[in-house]
Amino acid sequence: MRLEEFDVVIVGAGLSGLRIGLELSDKYNTAIISKVYPVRSHSINAQGGINAALGNLEEGKDDSPKVHAYDTVKGADFVADQNIAMLMCEEAPKTVLEFESMGTPFSRLENGLINQRPFGGAGFPRTCFAGDRTGHALLHTLYQQCVRFDVKFFDEYFLIDLIKIENNVTGLISLDITSGELVIFRAPSVILATGGFGRIYKRSTNSVINTGDGVGAAFRAGVPMEDCEFVQFHPTTLYGSNILITEGARGEGGLLYNNKHERFMNKYAPEAMELAPRDIVARAIDTEVLEGNAFEDEYVNLDLTHLGADTINKKLPGIREISMHFAGIDPIEEPIPIQPGQHYSMGGIATKYKGDVGETDLNGLWVLGECSCLSVHGANRLGGNSLLETAVFGRLIGKKLKERGLPKSFSTNMLKGAEEQVLNNVEELFSRWQNNEGKKPAEIRDEMGSIMNSNVGVFRNEKDMQVALDTLRQLQKDFKEVHVDTSDRKFNYGLTRTLELRSMLDIAEVTTYAALWRKESRGAHFRRDFDTRNDENFLVHSIVSRGKNGDLELKTKPVILGIFEVKEREY
Amino acid sequence: MEKQKFLIYRNPGDGSVRYDRFEVPIEKGMDVLDALFYIQDHLDSTLAFRYACRGAVCGSCGMTINKVPMLACKTQISSVNEIIQPIEKFIRSKNIDFIYGDVPAWDREHEILIEPAPNMRVIKDLVVDLEKFWNHFREIEPFFTREWNYKQPESKQSPEQMERIERYVYCILCGLCWACPVSNKNPNYLGPAQLAKASRFVYDSRIQHEKQNSIVSRVMKEDGVPACERYFICNQVCPKNVMPGTAINQELRKDWSKHE
Repeated sequence: MRLEEFDVVIVGAGLSGLRIGLELSDKYNTAIISKVYPVRSHSINAQGGINAALGNLEEGKDDSPKVHAYDTVKGADFVADQNIAMLMCEEAPKTVLEFESMGTPFSRLENGLINQRPFGGAGFPRTCFAGDRTGHALLHTLYQQCVRFDVKFFDEYFLIDLIKIENNVTGLISLDITSGELVIFRAPSVILATGGFGRIYKRSTNSVINTGDGVGAAFRAGVPMEDCEFVQFHPTTLYGSNILITEGARGEGGLLYNNKHERFMNKYAPEAMELAPRDIVARAIDTEVLEGNAFEDEYVNLDLTHLGADTINKKLPGIREISMHFAGIDPIEEPIPIQPGQHYSMGGIATKYKGDVGETDLNGLWVLGECSCLSVHGANRLGGNSLLETAVFGRLIGKKLKERGLPKSFSTNMLKGAEEQVLNNVEELFSRWQNNEGKKPAEIRDEMGSIMNSNVGVFRNEKDMQVALDTLRQLQKDFKEVHVDTSDRKFNYGLTRTLELRSMLDIAEVTTYAALWRKESRGAHFRRDFDTRNDENFLVHSIVSRGKNGDLELKTKPVILGIFEVKEREY
Repeated sequence: MEKQKFLIYRNPGDGSVRYDRFEVPIEKGMDVLDALFYIQDHLDSTLAFRYACRGAVCGSCGMTINKVPMLACKTQISSVNEIIQPIEKFIRSKNIDFIYGDVPAWDREHEILIEPAPNMRVIKDLVVDLEKFWNHFREIEPFFTREWNYKQPESKQSPEQMERIERYVYCILCGLCWACPVSNKNPNYLGPAQLAKASRFVYDSRIQHEKQNSIVSRVMKEDGVPACERYFICNQVCPKNVMPGTAINQELRKDWSKHE
């Protein structure tokens, strides 16, 4: 065992972790730990862009942060906290300007200003972009600034569990993947920026590493999960591998066709058509599939051929490359076969009611980015708002932490006591896994992914979800007997993937549990047995925790309203 | 079900090297990374390799496949030889061979040979030590030094000026270009990816003159641009078409050789 001491430890080196790390490193002794090298983080995959009401285009000159906030709240089907959504949109232009000054190579207009493209659910062309590789451009920019300011990194360290005394976080225990050593990070302030958990689904656009390690660790430490029933299914993922095909492809004019060569979106969103919000387009495609209007009963076509080689090469080069390498199709010549797939987790670690943004009920623990539920995306996130969320709140939460100062620490004896306890638990867990004779982790993971995909997907109902919940509870039992070789801990991905599964099972169970509870349809959560929105009973956040007896318990938290009137959502 | 045989380099990290054989059931569209996951999940959980995005953008899964440096996720099993053939031909024409250990009777017709990324120290199996790679990256000080700005308008750049550097921007820092023979023999050589990244900054129309100057001064030292021997292996093996060799020779060397 090794001990590292810091003022602040940040877990995760995607956009959220890097931005808050930059903010805090000038004042506090700060470390960023990450299970992969920073530039391998999932933010790298983001394609389409980042929203800000800059009004750089003539068509966008009437845009404003308030319109942006309204689009966000409406897209969220009104279950977002309006004050937080407003704050994010007000801070959006500053965030894009900050990135530009840090050197981000944004795509430009002829007049030299940052270009903006139309995106789903947005009133104006508001999405700033760097080709179709915006995540790459932004993540590398922040990493470069981290090199500039000498931010301290611990690369390839895996978060196992948080350490706490009473209701205060005091650090965390991690596995140094390279040496195989258990390392305790002692810090009065811990920030989780560990990203989403799409890999609880079999078909996901997410990186293989998106397994909710931070969400699981917080949940085991008693911090609830919020709004996990809201799972975004991206309408256009490449048929087969489910690699993302950006919404920007439709923003640039891409059209959707079924096997009868109909632009079927006119049945579902006659005004917005292909640029309706993601939940609506995903349901439209799956409806076409169910009604026999899909190719090979599995996919529809995203046609870019009419855009021409020049637009595709300049604005969507990454999409062309992905289509060619992973599907053998050149979108200049042929349409791209696409199907919906899990894409984004609107829910996540619950935040404190009326606390500071990102604050949790566990003192000293702060959360941001996709692992958190702040909540700006409500029941459905708009494209271009996730990259925005990471950088806006990285900056703002960082500033707030500096303003509030570090929480009081505990005596060394107390800290040591808590750390030894956690260390013993982990050692015990590893030796149990070594000695167990049950299933392999992959069997449990595959079963979890399949049942989530088939029973807690785009269309939901009571019966299917109850089957899923029963299955997941059985898998939790199976997991207690899981066997994996833990004898050599050095670069033992069999071991780290089992640790990931430990968190994913909890998250899958909570997602299903909350989705069963929410007897209405709202945003991405669509139930065939309750197919309308029910504001009277469900205009609230779900908060799920594990009770003392091991059963899940659900409470609700009010949604913060008051800026925009709650209305029917039409596109 | 159709099966594919694999012959995989193993090294527990103690210096002992062996090659293990595995058979993997093949599904349509499967790539080498999928096969490695199958092996780790079902046949040997201790097989070590890096991964993250599985979509050729994160740069984690660089390794040597049938003697050619490749990203595992980008290499389809059904067409592996077709994909690597032109690169392999080029590597052979330069008389370069990547040797990791004594390969036991490799049946090239039926077996896919997997070995670590070239010219880096192996830590375990297919995981290599990238510390030097990142150190050399930091060495060129790859960042803007402008003050952070929060007021409109942003600094301007024409579409053409942005396109000028685009190729270098999208380097994914996978490290495959360190297959360069110079990286093998000269541990101080900054490396193709690092020099391409330098081009990304040097030719950005927004860079401040002083900063441009300092990057140029660094990369024009002996262990930078002048160390390149024009093998152009980097241009061939780069999975993102960054063309570091072109950046080094057609730009940096040409434009800055007389730089003081």
